[in-house]
Amino acid sequence: MTEHHVVGLPGGVGASPARVGGRARVTGRQAYVADVRLEDALEVKLVTLDCARARIVAIDASAALAVPGVRLVLSAADLPDPMPRFGPQFQDRPVLAVGETRYHGEPVAAVAADTRDAAEEAARLVRVEYAELPAVSTIAAALAPDAPLVQDASIRPGDPLAATNVLREHRYGWGDVEGATADVVVEGTYAFPMVTQFAIEPHGFLAAPDGDGIAVWSSIQHPNWLQRVIAGLLALPLSKVRVFAPDPGGGFGGKQHAKFEPLVAFIALRAGRPARLVLTLEETFQAVRRGAAEIRVRSGFRRDGSLVFRDVEANYLIGAYADIADRTVAKGTYTSCGPYRTPAARIVARSILSNTTPSTAFRGFGNPQQIWAVESNMDEAAHVLRVDPVALRLRNLARPGEAFIPGDTPADGDWARTIERAAELIGWGAPPAAGRGRGIAVGLKSGPTTGLSYSTVRLLADGSVVVHAGTSDMGQGARTIFAQIAAQELGAPLDWVTVVMGDTAVVPYDQQTSASRSSVLMGNAVLGACRDIQGRLRAMAARLEGVAEADVVVDRGEVRIGDRILPVRDVLVRGLGRLGGELIGVGEMRKEAEPDHPLGGTAAFFEFNCTAVEVEVDRATGDVVVARHVTVSDVGTALNPTQVRGQDEGAAIMGLGHTLMEHYILDDSGRIRNLGAIDYRIPTSMDLPLRLESDVIENGDGPGPYGSKGMSEGALLCVAPAVAAAVRDATGVVIRDLPLTPERVWRALHVAGDA
Amino acid sequence: MTADMGAGVRIDVTVNGRARSLEVRPHHTLLDVLRDDLGLTGTKECCLVGECGACTVLVDGVSVDSCLVLAAEADGTAVLTVEGLATGDRLGRLQETFLETGAAQCGFCIPGQLMAAHALLATNPRPTRADVEEGLAGNLCRCGGYEQIIEAVLAAAERTEAAS
Amino acid sequence: MRAFTYERPTRLDDALALLAAHGPEARLLAGGTDLIIRLRDGSIRPRVVVDLKRIAELDADIREADGGLRIGARAVMTDIAADARIVRDYEALAEAAAVVGSIQIRNRATLAGNICNASPAADTAPSLLVYGARVIVAGVAGTRAVPLDEVFVRSGVTTLAADEIVTAIELPRPAKPGRSVHVRRTRRRGHDLASVTLTCAVDTDGLTRLAYGSLGPRPLLVADDTGLLADPAAPDAAKAERLETLFAAAAPSPRSMRASPDYRLAMLHVLGLRAVGTAIDRLTGGSAR
Repeated sequence: MTEHHVVGLPGGVGASPARVGGRARVTGRQAYVADVRLEDALEVKLVTLDCARARIVAIDASAALAVPGVRLVLSAADLPDPMPRFGPQFQDRPVLAVGETRYHGEPVAAVAADTRDAAEEAARLVRVEYAELPAVSTIAAALAPDAPLVQDASIRPGDPLAATNVLREHRYGWGDVEGATADVVVEGTYAFPMVTQFAIEPHGFLAAPDGDGIAVWSSIQHPNWLQRVIAGLLALPLSKVRVFAPDPGGGFGGKQHAKFEPLVAFIALRAGRPARLVLTLEETFQAVRRGAAEIRVRSGFRRDGSLVFRDVEANYLIGAYADIADRTVAKGTYTSCGPYRTPAARIVARSILSNTTPSTAFRGFGNPQQIWAVESNMDEAAHVLRVDPVALRLRNLARPGEAFIPGDTPADGDWARTIERAAELIGWGAPPAAGRGRGIAVGLKSGPTTGLSYSTVRLLADGSVVVHAGTSDMGQGARTIFAQIAAQELGAPLDWVTVVMGDTAVVPYDQQTSASRSSVLMGNAVLGACRDIQGRLRAMAARLEGVAEADVVVDRGEVRIGDRILPVRDVLVRGLGRLGGELIGVGEMRKEAEPDHPLGGTAAFFEFNCTAVEVEVDRATGDVVVARHVTVSDVGTALNPTQVRGQDEGAAIMGLGHTLMEHYILDDSGRIRNLGAIDYRIPTSMDLPLRLESDVIENGDGPGPYGSKGMSEGALLCVAPAVAAAVRDATGVVIRDLPLTPERVWRALHVAGDA
Repeated sequence: MTADMGAGVRIDVTVNGRARSLEVRPHHTLLDVLRDDLGLTGTKECCLVGECGACTVLVDGVSVDSCLVLAAEADGTAVLTVEGLATGDRLGRLQETFLETGAAQCGFCIPGQLMAAHALLATNPRPTRADVEEGLAGNLCRCGGYEQIIEAVLAAAERTEAAS
Repeated sequence: MRAFTYERPTRLDDALALLAAHGPEARLLAGGTDLIIRLRDGSIRPRVVVDLKRIAELDADIREADGGLRIGARAVMTDIAADARIVRDYEALAEAAAVVGSIQIRNRATLAGNICNASPAADTAPSLLVYGARVIVAGVAGTRAVPLDEVFVRSGVTTLAADEIVTAIELPRPAKPGRSVHVRRTRRRGHDLASVTLTCAVDTDGLTRLAYGSLGPRPLLVADDTGLLADPAAPDAAKAERLETLFAAAAPSPRSMRASPDYRLAMLHVLGLRAVGTAIDRLTGGSAR
């Protein structure tokens, strides 16, 4: 195994310079979408019903309109007929509910007023006459033969599943599962709950008429995608839709796709004034979540622990509108054989509609649910086979370069080393301290399957740099990475680099910020743009020095001709001459679609993580305390080690959230009971593992700049099965449902038949 | 609602060392007034039920959730927000250590964390790690694992001690 | 939030007059950590909010009185948790005050407010009951002292009249030296509303008092004067049986989101036994106070 170090400049790649944008964050100057002030903006308030599903009979806005300062009360009747619909996969989501509300919190009307007070008061006064309808909010209810349909069959013409709540069924596999002979078969059904992203910043949206077009501000992770949606809905050319995307205050996938931007855009154009809608935290919980799942895993092994087959049936409960949820199911379950050599596999995965909050992308993108099932199943198998859980993983692990998923990218990392490092850090070889249990799990996720990022970089006359990159920096530190790359390549001090993001009028196209892609895709685009500039510098230097271009090397901010080293700035100033100016470089990083591939493209890279934990379980109360949490990720190259650590540890703690305490609580009719921060619990600074350690494996084997790979989802993927394995080790009890709340653990330990 | 219900209340409050006099609606919180009336948007709005701490400010040196304080209650008090931590362009010690440890990721929770930490160090200049965990427990962070924030607070405490 | 009129009387008489004039349309504002949440969610819609923090006759002091302590109506949890006399002589109250929400909440939440809000899960209630606290209440007719056990009725409801104001909480001097402890069940180690709260006090005479909350409409006080619970040598099984008898009135709500009834009951017993053990350890290991 080779150690890989990137030798960079201070402030360059491999160093951990202070976050670009950090100063604004610690002084309160960072402008999030809710901080944007537009003159004369209307405040918008949503009107929703307190039930999961209802037929809208009548809406009486007269009392609301009588409130001083109220300008507009918009409902379906005020929007085009047929109702405009949008959505990244299916155009199913209406701008406002028409005829029927399909989930608890779906707006039936929106009030726009001069002040928040007036909007809130008027929203309370909108009288909606409605009839509550039977709603489905569980997998069983949604699949029942007489289940009410969440979506009209007419929305899915020609779809054989249109008369069911199954939106899509995905089938993957290879080899012959039925004919496979295994010495040991381990089977279980595992459940993953509904959880929500709970970014500390609730969603926010503004729209304003902008000449003959429109300007939209949103906490959106995909500004260009939003631009396309708005342009389509308003029948405007892209060039007349300007999307401003302030850095989101946390996204985690919940801000990838349009939610209420279309509504706010219609209001702004109708009123001829800017319109602003900032969701409450409760409304945010109603707006976005992760898909819940029930996953049956049946795995066959030879006595020595080698896998013979994997048979997975995964039902994901998505919400009332598809958003990107079906894609999370398709992509997440595609890798449900895990990073293992699997001779025969059969995967059947369904996205099932329900009258609940539309599930969307959420860190891990469908993988945490199946990893919970498959890795728990592996731990049970290790127990049955009497094979050490680490040894079981290593025995079956795909080796670097091995095509462990036929037709897809081969294993692209030394994953064994990642596992060995985690095992080493937790001290796997020796037994844990008395009273503790220990568990381990691995997590694999495909990176992006297609992608397109452009960047322009401008080397200004004094050697300072402007980088244009359409990535959304929602805390992962993309801005800093791009600045480091430009600083390194163009020889500028880091604080001489400005990164411009979040304005579709100024920044070139970026497909999206998701799948941990940005360091690789946009990073390479930025790198490409810098190389473009370096090419021009080479030409400049050759001209100035009277040498052939081939004799000039531009590397890391230096121009080298033979033994001579000239700073870039030197060459630049001389080369630009009296007219001055700048050098503009364009970079493009593209990963084309592969139409024959089940996912439309192979993985650009894989994220791989190994998590090992030690727990103490209070058998009388069911409390689980994570005494030690070790997380190791295979990152290729840590472009900014401090940021990598921050992301991995954050992902680990977020994983502990859904492992130990997070879940929506619905009543029998599908209403969310625990809206808001008092009864939806996430980890605080007092809920940390007693000792948390993170490490990275850097082999420079990624496709990104300097051998990097994408990261920041990996450390969340397998937290739950690692903890459950540790709980089993400590208590002997296998629990297959999350979260492992004290009550659930207690019940498994004490109530007969519940284990 | 009668026409005179909610008539404005005049308050005099010192914000970040600057005396302010303004009329506020009784039902507006200190958070509303800081952000909307005074344009100090550094203090953030999130849960509005006193759970997340994103709205933490100091009132007469004591850390509070400004979403649970009526603006009218702040009359006659001195309020410190994140905008008041720096002196001109010189950052406060905590702001510096937060930058050094990488504590701010998306940054949305950071103003509240800084204010809570500021109050913690004012009452407990040499906190243990457990003290810091407890002192910041009212400030939720979703991006990070709290480690870098805690390290920043401990580093600021050390630095202050070294300087005194 | 709906609009309301804000009043800030500086005299108790004026405050009482406001309450008399507006009746149920007026609400008292102390720390605001319960009130403002309810104003925002619309569960209460007063026309008038009376801020009592400027009333001259109300203070935030913690004073010695008649061998016990007098806690002013404006005293907040932070001060109560840190007061050396409370930590020494009413330690369960200090422990309870220290876990009411986060530090930001504790800096504002008053003990008086915690009592008047009358949540069955109020953390300070069990210890106050165990210590025999009295609530001093002012009304137009004068001042009266009410044993706390006679204040709680059910969630959100006390025996205090709408036109009365709590001016102080009195903790009597303990009858006998003893030690106590406050324990609770939560969903996480970070601050949380409790699904079981419990205080246990054991004194040198072998009297054990327990009070528990969140298993029924109001916190309940029970006592064991047989000496069994307080006896370090008595087996756990016998103590568990005794506790079961004492906790017979526990009636957890079937509708609670925070914990199921059977778990709550089980935890009441687990916490009860553990708390008894801790109180005894403190009494025998440390000094009786």
